[in-house]
Amino acid sequence: MKKIMAFLEKYFVPIAGRIGSQRHLVAIRDGFVVIMPIIMAGSFAVLINNLPIAPYQNLMTSMLGESWKSFGGQVWMGSFAVMSLLVNFTISYNVAKSYNSNAVAAGAVSLASLMAIMQPAAEAFAIPYQWTGAVGLFVSIFVALVSSEVFVRLLGNPRLVIKMPEGVPPAVAKSFAALFPSIITLSIFALLKVFTVLAGVTDIHALVNDIVQAPLLKLANSMGSALTIAFVNHLLWFFGLHGSNILEPVMQTVFMQTLDANISAFQAGAAIPNIVTKPFFDAFVYMGGSGTTITLIAAIYIASKRKQYRSLANMAAGPGLFNINEPVIFGMPIVLNPIFMIPFICVPVVTTIISYIALASGIVPKTVAMIPWTTPPIISGYLVTGGSVMGSLLQIVNLIIGIAIYMPFVLMAEKLDTEKATEEA
Amino acid sequence: MKTIMLVCSAGMSTSLLVTKMKKAAEEQNIDVEVFAVSEAESKNYTNQANVVLLGPQVRYILEKMKAMMAFREVPVAVINSADYGMMNGKAVLKQALDLMK
Repeated sequence: MKKIMAFLEKYFVPIAGRIGSQRHLVAIRDGFVVIMPIIMAGSFAVLINNLPIAPYQNLMTSMLGESWKSFGGQVWMGSFAVMSLLVNFTISYNVAKSYNSNAVAAGAVSLASLMAIMQPAAEAFAIPYQWTGAVGLFVSIFVALVSSEVFVRLLGNPRLVIKMPEGVPPAVAKSFAALFPSIITLSIFALLKVFTVLAGVTDIHALVNDIVQAPLLKLANSMGSALTIAFVNHLLWFFGLHGSNILEPVMQTVFMQTLDANISAFQAGAAIPNIVTKPFFDAFVYMGGSGTTITLIAAIYIASKRKQYRSLANMAAGPGLFNINEPVIFGMPIVLNPIFMIPFICVPVVTTIISYIALASGIVPKTVAMIPWTTPPIISGYLVTGGSVMGSLLQIVNLIIGIAIYMPFVLMAEKLDTEKATEEA
Repeated sequence: MKTIMLVCSAGMSTSLLVTKMKKAAEEQNIDVEVFAVSEAESKNYTNQANVVLLGPQVRYILEKMKAMMAFREVPVAVINSADYGMMNGKAVLKQALDLMK
């Protein structure tokens, strides 16, 4: 055990740290952070439109007429439907910002580049909404990263600055600084589009979707992938590293898309396709924070007499209700604590399995809404399932299981501590 | 007046600590400003802070943060994890003040 820990500390932790601070992954994460309020707005709009409560639906229709849902639909059009465009700008902005370069210009050039390679809708000269939502995320992120890298490099190149004769105000000369870098960056993407068409690929988005995105999402929507995410996240936290923060780029690029497909199906009244989504983890697994630690707090209240644990539980209970658990993780501590490592990883793994089965079997509806990760359990289960009490019930089941798993470890830790104390005395 | 900036992933758990540090400062009659931000937001506050402390869970951004604050020679450090877990405002305040000396 000690050997394994030493090995992980030596090889796994530095790699995780590097991933967590890698420039482009950080830019992707921060880019999504910017658009998250807009995504929430879209998600709530869909939820309000589709809450499966008949009296509510009847009331809204009688009060506001048949078209009352168009308001929510428009909010969706401005959020989920154009997610790839929004995040393309914010990611390239953040890449350029990390180089202390002209961030707004990089964002604009990136969005221009994305539009340059997008195949207009076939029937009319129109923006293909098919690719501006989450389905176009991979291409969008790729363009954001590449175009901002190219743009920032060119902007730093003194040979691309137009020399102005003396007497021209420096501000004017400066305004031309982005001219050549913008032209070159946009041209690269325009040429890419030209060459792919010549090579027989009319729609880059469709190609990427068929060969990369669709198979990957199919793989992501499996119990294996859900367990991998749950396991890696908690292994990172065990070493005191912010697991969810490090995994956030994956969560957002992959598990936002599975959610997006669900939301679209929910809106259309069709069968919901995906089980594993971002809110799947937030609502059913990370209750009280990573490690489902709200159940550890409850286990302490039920089983522990130790003053130190109880005072920690008192301090951690409030933030824990909103899924903030650093006091538990560093206060217990769970970090590098071999006793608590077992339940800290087991509870989320077990709740992932139970939740997956509950959703796959149809007992609990699949997730169809994005919620702030700070939404307290019970409420979050109701909301993410599109207003189903079964969502809250599943959370209660998971909470009880969590408490039952944590309890013996709390007792064991307490016993070891008392033994240690008497030995020392 | 000195300004202490606390940074973690979402600026949530560090905001818990802000209240505790302010209280500790008040008790000792120390005039400081303490605020917490998310990692993503932190780059907008580089001109305000006199010292930057990171939550131990994001200690992997230490080098990045140091580079970001280098232009004003602002000290950057990671908060001791035991103090962080117990939300020990007094100890973290001391750490911040010592760094600014």
